[in-house]
Amino acid sequence: MRERITYLQKLGSSLPPSALTITPTSLTGPSVSAIREERLTFALDELPAELSSILKNDVHELHVRWVNPVAYESVGAMVARVPGGWHLFWTPVLGKESQKEGGRGARLCEVLGGVFGVACGGEESFTKLPSERFYHSAALQYFQPLEGLGRFVEYAKGKLCAEEDGDCVRRVDALAEASALDVSYDSISHALKVTALWAFQEQEIRATARPNVRTEVGVLSDEKTATMEDHELGVSGLLTVLGQDEKPSATVFSFPSRHRDAGSGFEAEFVQVGLHPVLQLKLGSNKPPVEEAACATHAYFTFPRTIFADRYQLSDDLFLASKNLTALRYISQPVDLEAPEYVMKTWGSAALLELKPPAMDDGKAEESWTAEVPLHLRYLTPSHGGYANLEVPYPAVFWACNAEEGTKFPTNPFERVNLGYDGLFGPRTVFWHVEPRPVSGGRVTSSIRVPVLDLDKAGWVNVGTAAVVLLGFAWISWKLLSVYLKTGYGSESRGSRTSETRDDKKRQ
Amino acid sequence: MAGQAAAAATHPSSASRFFHGRLPLYFSAALLRLVFLLYGLWQDANSPVKYTDIDYLVFTDAARFMSRGQSPYDRETYRYTPVLAWLLLPTAWVTGSPFWDTVWFSSGKVLFAAADLVAGWLLERLLTMGGQGVPPMDGPRARRFAAIWLLNPMVATISTRGSSEGLLGVLVTALLWAVVSRRVTLAALLLGFGVHFKIYPFIYAPAILWWMDRERMSGFSPGSRPPFLARLTGFITPARFQLALISLTTFLGLNVFMFNFYGTPFLIHTYFHHVSRIDHRHNFSPYNTQLYLTSAFPDLSSLQIESVAFLPQLALSCIMIPLILAKKDLPTAMLAQTFAFVTFNKVCTSQYFLWYMVLLPLYLPPSSFMRNKTLGICALALWVASQGLWLQQGFQLEFLGKSTFVPGLWLASLGFFLVNCWILGIMIGDVALQPKLP
Repeated sequence: MRERITYLQKLGSSLPPSALTITPTSLTGPSVSAIREERLTFALDELPAELSSILKNDVHELHVRWVNPVAYESVGAMVARVPGGWHLFWTPVLGKESQKEGGRGARLCEVLGGVFGVACGGEESFTKLPSERFYHSAALQYFQPLEGLGRFVEYAKGKLCAEEDGDCVRRVDALAEASALDVSYDSISHALKVTALWAFQEQEIRATARPNVRTEVGVLSDEKTATMEDHELGVSGLLTVLGQDEKPSATVFSFPSRHRDAGSGFEAEFVQVGLHPVLQLKLGSNKPPVEEAACATHAYFTFPRTIFADRYQLSDDLFLASKNLTALRYISQPVDLEAPEYVMKTWGSAALLELKPPAMDDGKAEESWTAEVPLHLRYLTPSHGGYANLEVPYPAVFWACNAEEGTKFPTNPFERVNLGYDGLFGPRTVFWHVEPRPVSGGRVTSSIRVPVLDLDKAGWVNVGTAAVVLLGFAWISWKLLSVYLKTGYGSESRGSRTSETRDDKKRQ
Repeated sequence: MAGQAAAAATHPSSASRFFHGRLPLYFSAALLRLVFLLYGLWQDANSPVKYTDIDYLVFTDAARFMSRGQSPYDRETYRYTPVLAWLLLPTAWVTGSPFWDTVWFSSGKVLFAAADLVAGWLLERLLTMGGQGVPPMDGPRARRFAAIWLLNPMVATISTRGSSEGLLGVLVTALLWAVVSRRVTLAALLLGFGVHFKIYPFIYAPAILWWMDRERMSGFSPGSRPPFLARLTGFITPARFQLALISLTTFLGLNVFMFNFYGTPFLIHTYFHHVSRIDHRHNFSPYNTQLYLTSAFPDLSSLQIESVAFLPQLALSCIMIPLILAKKDLPTAMLAQTFAFVTFNKVCTSQYFLWYMVLLPLYLPPSSFMRNKTLGICALALWVASQGLWLQQGFQLEFLGKSTFVPGLWLASLGFFLVNCWILGIMIGDVALQPKLP
């Protein structure tokens, strides 16, 4: 097991080495404003049995990305954004489909359900990711809203912490406050990486070593160096390996980064109610983050199955332009356009929309602007009161800019990959993230009240419908019967009933 | 014949010059559609709100898939026979010239609009032929009634927006025309094709078969009533056998052919979808709210409404109405069947109204609604008003987000259902009141 703990402060707030107190088992320091990241790397045999077994047998590649639906502030190299909720990207082991009854998807979902408290059901709830697209990505995708890591905390405490290991329990408990959690595994490295992120805030520097674990602590801050290129980020600060170093070593380094901060924000809010709501994105700026490169604004959505975008509606240029949209660049397939929510098997749909900011004319100041995304609600389960409240996670909004020809983006120490949208772009794309900001309160979700059948008033529906249909049927039957009684079933239009028995005077 | 013409003349006719010749009526009908079509092109090009029906985009997408050698069912929500996509193949032609591309893309709408005109012309033919229900009319009077279809803005709108229901209109009128003019093979081909195309025309099979009795088809009239057993075996006549055999062969042949090309997706989307759909997005059907309820809680309802809803619908449209009305007045019987089928259907949208609207001109001339103007206006007003009430509730739900499912939408759909039943009852009663022909 390896561990890496990083405190990342903003530009210009560095700490002298003397501020840190280092013992063989701990590192402590003053209170700083920083984002904190903790990364644990497990070998398969260090994991609980059911987890290691499913990873070994059914997983070629697996990525869980959980993001708190409550807004958080981020810094520099850790700025990559994902819509709030629980994302899963999974590539099954090839050629093992028919190995066991029940299916790999169902087994994986059962295990992950136990770990995270999610309910993905089985493989039929996943959507396929485009494998032929530019960049590497997993094969299958799943998403569901997930409020917190409560279940994960309980699971980790029970399976990973020894009974009297107070330090372990304290550290795991802290996950309840985390803003994001990434779990990644691939069958090449045979290692499971768990990375947790705590929002930028005032916190004390504190790290403790654990037996048999190599713990590296970095107290860093954003840095700009003279030699840095445009597509690079820099950090400087102090690195310490607990139990090995007696004093921290100062470091400065820079690295190319695919995820950058665009320096502006956006809000997302429903502006039209009803069954065809419109999600309005209010963006703070129309100024591209870099001038010399080709940049386009994008919004990446993960829509729960309650709501969807109609790709056919989003294919008309005139319609798109009227909403400040350029094109629907990607939507997961298939999206059933008719089915009610409660019969849907797939988790929902992912969509990538290119937005159309007002042009930046020469000399004109940047301006805020809006784009509108027309959506459609499914019928939801009837409820008492006649309404259901939905929360749709904010999209990840970013400018995608092309880096110069020949630029390489080797994996950097803070890189987040497999975020859902990165695989939809070419390898030289840099994502300049626009910060999601709550409309009110702290949540980066858009709420909408959906009309559903009101169970309180539905008591008469079955009986009433049956009675009215029978009434209509009886009336028509009566009219038919009276025609029959008057004229029989033969050709005669009018006449007495006896026309049946009397000599048939044939028609015209 | 002279008496019939006189009878027709007793109806006060506006006798306008308009209906005197063919040209003014058909020219106006074509012009109306052309104006709508051009207006639609303008609106599509200039407004984010489109004139073209979403279904037309489905058809033309499917045709495009087909032109690339793919299956039309690669287009989601394409729930029709491949024939439709074939018919629309020209819409997928790309010439490079924007003008011709637009012309070709609109060719499907032109086809649907042309089908409207042909249906109107067949109505005129049927009216001038007369039948049991309607005495033969002279041309101007027949055109006046055909104009109910030909100059109906609702019909013109639906076809120029690109809805395929106009094709059904021409199929059904042609079927009726073939039957009453004793063209059995043609009628059978049309019936088989019609059922393949849109399923519901199967309801006409019992009516037509029942109508085609030996006396009518051969002119032979038994002097006295034959014994029961002879009547039973006598039911199977050459004409009936021919109709059944050819229509069934056409229907099955087309299906085997399509299945060969497009496999299971063809069967699923063209047929099975309509049986298993739980598409209860609000529509005019009286069952709508109940279907929403039972589909959401399938375990709670003891009786699956889907499995019994077809009973009154099929009992009326396939057994009772054909049996009692078909021999007396085939067009009105077919109208009543369609009306009952649509009214009692599990799903009912305004496009379905076109299915029976095409038959109205054949029923209306001697009907209670025309003879008693107050009744006629009342029926029309009630039909429109109850529909309007439903639409108002639907608008509140769909665009204002108000939960109007119960009681609003539910009661509105039941109200509309009862109005339809009332109208249908009068229609049926009229068959016994038709003026006796000399």
